[in-house]
This record gives sequence, C-alpha cells and structure tokens, in this order.
Amino acid sequence: MAKDPVRVLVTGAAGQIGYALVPMIARGVMLGPDQPVILHMLDIPPAAEALDGVKMELVDAAFPLLKGVVATTDVAEACKGVNVAVMVGGFPRKEGMERKDVMTKNVSIYKSQASALEQHAAPNCKVLVVANPANTNALILKEFAPSIPAKNITCLTRLDHNRALGQISERLSIQVSDVKNVIIWGNHSSTQYPDVNHASVKTPGGEKPVRELVSDDAWLNGEFITTVQQRGAAIIKARKLSSALSAASAACDHIRDWVLGTPEGTWVSMGVYSDASYNVPAGLIYSFPVTCKNGEWSIVQGLPIDEFSRKKMDATAVELSEEKDLAYSCLS
Amino acid sequence: MAKDPMRVLVTGAAGQIGYALVPMIARGAMLGPDQPVIIHMLDIEPAAEALKGVTMELIDAAFPLLKGIVATTNAVEACKGVNVAIMVGGFPRKEEMERKDMMSKNVSIYKAQASALEQHAAPNCKVLVVANPANTNALILKEFAPSIQEKNISCLTRLDHNRALGQISERLKVHVGDVKNVIIWGNHSSTQYPDVNHATVNTGKEWKPVRELVSDGQWLNTEFITTVQQRGAAIIKARKLSSALSAASAACDHMHDWILGTPKGTWVSMGVCSDGSYGIQPGLIYSFPVTCEKGEWSMVQGLQIDEFSKAKMDATAKELIEEKALAYSCLN
Repeated sequence: MAKDPVRVLVTGAAGQIGYALVPMIARGVMLGPDQPVILHMLDIPPAAEALDGVKMELVDAAFPLLKGVVATTDVAEACKGVNVAVMVGGFPRKEGMERKDVMTKNVSIYKSQASALEQHAAPNCKVLVVANPANTNALILKEFAPSIPAKNITCLTRLDHNRALGQISERLSIQVSDVKNVIIWGNHSSTQYPDVNHASVKTPGGEKPVRELVSDDAWLNGEFITTVQQRGAAIIKARKLSSALSAASAACDHIRDWVLGTPEGTWVSMGVYSDASYNVPAGLIYSFPVTCKNGEWSIVQGLPIDEFSRKKMDATAVELSEEKDLAYSCLS
Repeated sequence: MAKDPMRVLVTGAAGQIGYALVPMIARGAMLGPDQPVIIHMLDIEPAAEALKGVTMELIDAAFPLLKGIVATTNAVEACKGVNVAIMVGGFPRKEEMERKDMMSKNVSIYKAQASALEQHAAPNCKVLVVANPANTNALILKEFAPSIQEKNISCLTRLDHNRALGQISERLKVHVGDVKNVIIWGNHSSTQYPDVNHATVNTGKEWKPVRELVSDGQWLNTEFITTVQQRGAAIIKARKLSSALSAASAACDHMHDWILGTPKGTWVSMGVCSDGSYGIQPGLIYSFPVTCEKGEWSMVQGLQIDEFSKAKMDATAKELIEEKALAYSCLN
C-alpha cells in the first residue's frame, strides 16, 4: 500500500541550490525511496520564468515518486499544507555590502516567511534554514512564528559536519563512511568549531579515536579547523559559484536523519534551539551534536569539553549573540 | 558482502549537466543503491579549476557509495578501467556558428575520445553519448573505436522519451508512473518522432491505449509531437540555460535500465546502432524502442507502423544520413 505523499517546500527554488536539491527530493534522497512527495517551490517574481523552467524539467524527468509540483511566487500558496520546509531563499551578500545591510534584508524576508509558515504549513512542519546567515535567519523565523514549536526550527550545519568527515577521511586515506561523530559547534560561519575529540574511525581492529589515528594535534587544532571553516570560500574560488551540490546533499541528509532517525551509535550536527546545554546561552540557534529518533532530535549530553574546545564554543556563541542583537536592531 | 566498485566516467564533468549528474551517480540513481562507484571526471584544461571545485564538493558531500574520485584533464587517465562512460562533453553551438563548424569540432572530439576509450576502458564498457549532435557523435565514436562492440555504444533519447511520458500524463491528469511505452524514433533533434501508437495508461483496472484515452488524434499527431520535439528550446527560453536536471536524470535512467533491466511489459527508448529493423538504414545510431535484460538491450520487434509514422521515421533517418555525410566530410 503506497504511502500518502509528503509536501516539501523549497524556497529560492529557482536558484543554484534549489536546482540541485529538487531532483534529490524527487528521487527519494530526502525522505526515503518509498515516500512519495509533492514539491512546493517558491521564488520571487523576477525568477518566475526560471522557476517555471525548473517545473518543466521536473515534469520532463518523469520521477516515479513525484506526485505533484506547486511552483509559485505567492508565499501563502507555497506554504499551504507543507510538512517539510527547506528555506534556501535569501538575500545574497554582494560586494560592497555592509553586514548590517545583508542582515536587514534577510531579517525582513524571514520575518514575513515566518508568518506564512505559521499560518499555512501543516501541523508539526519541520523547518530547515539554509540561506545565510542561517542560524540568525532561523532565529528570526522562530521569533516570528511562535506557534511553530521551537524544536521544529533548525539550520544547516550538516554541510560543515560532512566537510569535516571528508577532511578526516582524506587525511587518513580511508572511506568517508568509516568516519563518524565529528561535531560542528555553533554558527554556520567562519567561527564554527569543528571538533574531533569524540570522533572515531572504523578499523579492522574496532572503533578508534580520530585523534589517535591522525596523531597530529597541531593539524587537528589548526589547519583542519580552518579548512572546514573556510571551505565555502575555497569552493567559490574554484567554481566561481558557491556550493550547491554539497549544500543540497547535506540538506537531504539533515532532514532524512531527523525524520527517519540516526543510525545506532552515530550522531550528526544540527543547528537547533539552545536549551543552555554545554553552557551555550539559551535562546540561540546553535549547532550541537544530536541523535534523532521517532522524528525528534535530542542533544547528545555529557560529552567532556576541554579548555581549547570551551574557548571556541564560547567564541562562536558570542558571534551569534552579536548577530541576534544586530538582527533585532534592524527590526526596530 | 559489499560489491566491488564500478568505475563511471563523466566527460564534460565541470559543466552544468555534469554537476547535476555526479551527485545522482554518487547516490546510486544510476547503478542502484547498493552499488559502490568510483567517479572519473574529465574536462578540458580551461575548466580544470572548476573541475577541482566539483571534486571538493563530492568529498564534502560524504556520499557512502562513493569510493573514489579521479578528476583529470587527461583523457587516458579518465578512461582507465571505466565500466560506464557518459559523454557529456562537446563543443556547444554558439550563435553565429554554422552547423558545419559545430559538426567539425565535435567530430574531432569524438574521434579522439573513441581512441582513448578503446585503449583504456574496461572490457564491455557501456557508452552513452549525451553531447549534441548525440546520434552523430555516437556514430563517430563507434567508427573510430572498432574494438568496442557496437552494441555498447548508445546515445540519449531517454530525455525525449521521459518528456513524452510527461506530456501525456499532464494531458490526462494522471501520474507519469501510470504512462508507458511511448517511443522516440530517430535523431535526438527536432526531427525525432514521438510515437504514442503503442503507448498505454494504467486506469487502475487495466492498461488502455493512449490514443483511446486522449481521443484527440489531432493533438497527438501535431502539438504533442512538436512540444516534445521542441521542449529543449522551451527550457532554454525559461531558464536561459539548457536542460541539465532532466538530462542528467534521463542519463541515469538510460544506464540504470540498460544494466539492471527494464520492468516486465515496459520498453524504453535508446539511440542504438541500427540493424535494418523497421526499414531503417543499418549502421546509423537511431532511437528505437528497446527492452533490457542481463545488461543487454534488444529492439522491440514487430510493432505495427502506420503510414504517418513511416513518413516521420524516414524523415529523421534522412537527417541522420545527412549528418553522417557532413561528419565524414569534416574528417577529410
């Protein structure tokens, strides 16, 4: 007996990340190979024709799992009945733009989208904010959609998490699927803290700590961290465009693990509403290690935090508090 | 026990179609969810930096099935040991370019790549040519790689096939998964013939002929045909870029069905070497209805062809014969 379709919204769907993401969703990468989907795609009026082109291509691909496509520039129509919302749309930072200007524009966007989601999405809609500044956009969305449970509003740090796994696998010349339990703490920005203190590698002799196998703390505490933090910029330098393929893939991983559960013994990183765990200020959207089960995430508790990590975790929290203040000043 | 990885080559990998295609391959859309892959990516020197960016993103996506990446501008290295070759690279037609110039450039490319594949690919490598003029590029490749069995060289008309399914499903307001057995005859160009004379629709109780359910013979013989033929141009008009998402998806479908088999009672369209079936001149790469089993395609034989269809099938064959002559004149 086929399952009822799940409605998935992608905002900014006519853009690069959207174009990479929608075929992944339509192929079952996000919700599983037996879960039919109806895609809702939203973009702004200047992108209406391009959005129509994406819709045409989705029809042309004859995806068996894709049971419908709603392509619109109307936010209410886009949000109607959606069970999952992936917010890719936002105002990109252009050269010459002040940080405050980017923040102002994005704060308005996320305030109005909060409203639409709250009014029109299905109950228990799960929200993933991708557009930067991801954590703060998610925070604004949460503040202006009070009837959406805070636990249902997240931001994407799975890309950074996957990048960290990739860097370790490259360093050790092993399969990336044999590395697990890195953590991305904090902001999806250059202050994020990629932490391998609890990460492990599957070896023929059992699970071993990454620190032991890499045996180069200077690299793990230095270059490894900056490589992951600045990977976005490295991609832009090579491609002349920002990451789309890997961002879309990470968005699918984030939602899939959230909805379908994380494997036993494995955690992932998600930007979630802080409850003051690990002495991170409450009320920020901060990336933590989480496990997922029955459609809910829970922060992995009780991990020992050394001094080096403490400083980094605090620094990224400070940046998030500053972003929050800046965002609120834009609203006043 | 995990399977040995298969090596899949994508040429033109730094371009738009490549960027859509590689994550699909890495997620198992082409060879199945339990088939590990090593992706070989080839592009030209000017695209080397962009190709590096794609490599970085593939690592950053931490795909469990992706067991290795070879990214190179060297055709020999790219072709080494590949089991599947998707030829997306080619010289795009620019404004003001004469057809002969475009043909000339592509003929040289496909002659050189034929050589590299023949010498370095794994035995029984399956080849799919996507770059236009797809049929003629595939023909050139076949002519200059005589030790590759001609049954292993194909071109992509699955995109047109899927587009035809999509148009019927939209017309009948049924799900595209409930339409099957359209046929694309001939050239992947505006002379292709989308034929619904043997196509059927699942009404829930039984499969009924499309012609019966669409009862508008006029539409099926005119607008439906031209819509499918010209869909590529419609996408370009809307997106300002040519189809990538749907082309990549069709390439996965083509190779997936070729290797893993078509469902019982269903055929697909593939550009394959003509053996004189249906009165088509032997030795052309012409799109036919095929079923696939145990890694081999076979033409569906014995389908009734009415006069209207015969005229269209001959017209597209004529164009292919002219393209072949033009291609050979470029080589002299």
